Amino acid sequence: MADNAWWASALSEAVNNGKPLAVVCNGEELALFRDRQGQAFALEDRCPHRRVPLSLGCVVESGIQCGYHGWTFDGASGACTAIPNLHANERVPARYAARAYSVAERNGFVHVWLGEDEPNESVPAATYLPEGREYTGAATVSIQHEEYLAAMLDGPHCLISFDAVRMTDFFLGDPCLKDNHLVLDRGAVWSTKVLPPQFVVDYPLIVRTSVPVCGGDIRVDLLTEEETPLCTVFIASGANRRGTTSLCWRGFLHRSEGGVAPLRWRAARRAQRPPFRVHSHVDGEALAALLVAPSRDLDRLRDQSLIPVRAAV
Amino acid sequence: MHTVSTNDTVAGQRSKRPSDWTPVNYDLHDTWFPVSHSRDVSSRPIRRIIHSQPYFLWRENGISQAAEFHPSRLAALRHASSAFTGGSGSYPVIERYGYIWAWYGNPDHADIQLLPHIPFLPLDGNIPGYTQRTVRFDASSALSVENLIDLTHADFLHANTIGDGISESDVVEVEWTSETVTRTRMVTQKSVAPVMRWVGGIRAKYQDFRAVLHIHLRSNVCISYPRFRPGYDVPNLQPFLPVGRHRSRCDVTFNTTAAPSPFRYLMPRINYIIQPQDNSVVRPQNQRYLDESDRRDLHSRFDAPGTRYRYQMEQLAKRQRRGDFSYGTDAEPGRDITTLLGMDG
Repeated sequence: MADNAWWASALSEAVNNGKPLAVVCNGEELALFRDRQGQAFALEDRCPHRRVPLSLGCVVESGIQCGYHGWTFDGASGACTAIPNLHANERVPARYAARAYSVAERNGFVHVWLGEDEPNESVPAATYLPEGREYTGAATVSIQHEEYLAAMLDGPHCLISFDAVRMTDFFLGDPCLKDNHLVLDRGAVWSTKVLPPQFVVDYPLIVRTSVPVCGGDIRVDLLTEEETPLCTVFIASGANRRGTTSLCWRGFLHRSEGGVAPLRWRAARRAQRPPFRVHSHVDGEALAALLVAPSRDLDRLRDQSLIPVRAAV
Repeated sequence: MHTVSTNDTVAGQRSKRPSDWTPVNYDLHDTWFPVSHSRDVSSRPIRRIIHSQPYFLWRENGISQAAEFHPSRLAALRHASSAFTGGSGSYPVIERYGYIWAWYGNPDHADIQLLPHIPFLPLDGNIPGYTQRTVRFDASSALSVENLIDLTHADFLHANTIGDGISESDVVEVEWTSETVTRTRMVTQKSVAPVMRWVGGIRAKYQDFRAVLHIHLRSNVCISYPRFRPGYDVPNLQPFLPVGRHRSRCDVTFNTTAAPSPFRYLMPRINYIIQPQDNSVVRPQNQRYLDESDRRDLHSRFDAPGTRYRYQMEQLAKRQRRGDFSYGTDAEPGRDITTLLGMDG
């Protein structure tokens, strides 16, 4: 099993009490669903009867019902609660169960505990505190998860863009370790300005990326040079199959615009257009051109902590 | 012959822990495979596959032929022939019941007596074309057979065609030999299947139903005789050709010639609806049976036919792994199964 950590595996609104949601999180295949009261649950996406994905089934009063033979499993314990057509005096053996995972829902994300130890209290999205309108999405990108995290430090412009903003690759210092995340600032400019970035004396914007040493919670902030936040994006990432990476994200615009934004930015915000875009397609050429720079620290820290890198199933 | 009823068994098996079931790795030799419908074979060669082994089929002066190589290259490549053709390049082949049957295994062991008996199909294959269809399964042949023998999945996957599982009584019996497994299901006062109600014109609310499924383990030939009252008999042959570890092919024959129109024409095509439903589950299921796992499948008493099938297949595979390809004394693949199928009842 995995790394004894909470993983933000889906957006809250993507999990419902009708059709189970299939996700792959850090290589684990999961079926997420809710009961009628709105409580979210996660089971391994594998019926222990005939190994068919439980996500092909449906949600019923007592849990999730496999679409192949109708075996039903309790969301919290994974216990098999019903096998169709049993006589009234027959009982399902107590040991019959699907693998169940602990679930914690916070700030619009459904978190799943992957690991054998008892879950702790530190849920990744706890630090994401949105104000006002949010912009959300989900995608699977064709890049390995470890590489996605590394690219988020070395060249986040390959993975995310902010409206009317051009990121530079001038790192404002070296990555620093904070709360088990490597945090790195880089300069950015408004793309509406005529002056190219290399002639800018002081960058008017900062893009701050926070990448986990262990786990998949990424945070990207767009700040003014006074470090007033303009936009915050929380990206939950995890290894999917065949070297791909699952993403789901939430981001919001801070109320403080700082009065520095150009007209295009302000007009687009008034029109409620998204202030950022998480790339669903990664430009391979741009990615290949990225030099390994700050992500070296990520590798070094991982080596020190001997965190096993799981292969996606 | 051994017999057991699913009503006799208790859910779960707690006895000696068996090894995991890896059906995709079965490669059983010395059997006849119905490799093609007869009508599909002409003077123009076609290619079929059994366990990744190529079978080119064609006719010469109307006589069916089967070879490892395309006939245009057969002479040149004969020296590269495998043990499956004994170095001749040509497989033993017979034409019966509207199929071309080709031998898979040691050609010296090919024996017409080992051909299954199929009482509801004419020996000379003279049957209308509408009774024959081809479907493909996205799983190994053994998993496809298990899907067919399986009783309760129809209530969930095929409720809109075959009907729900609600009935007054539902009794299942399993018989087996070292070479076959036979499942008999007797259902009384079952909701009339939608296909029989809307296409077959059966207006009754309930019907009784007796279905016998006779499986030849080596060849995955499934001989099925369902009888609905009120309603019709829908005898059918579903031979799962083991193309490889991931796919199987099924050239089916539904002998509905005795049923009224339009049921007789539509029923053979029902597989076009049922097969994608089955594929939706067996496709992801198949990859999870590729490698042996510590995590054993759970079973209910409704799985008794399936678990028996698994066990008998494993016994046969074990025997062949030891180099014993003979047929046991209890096995008579060619014996008359008219009574077993309940055709004379």
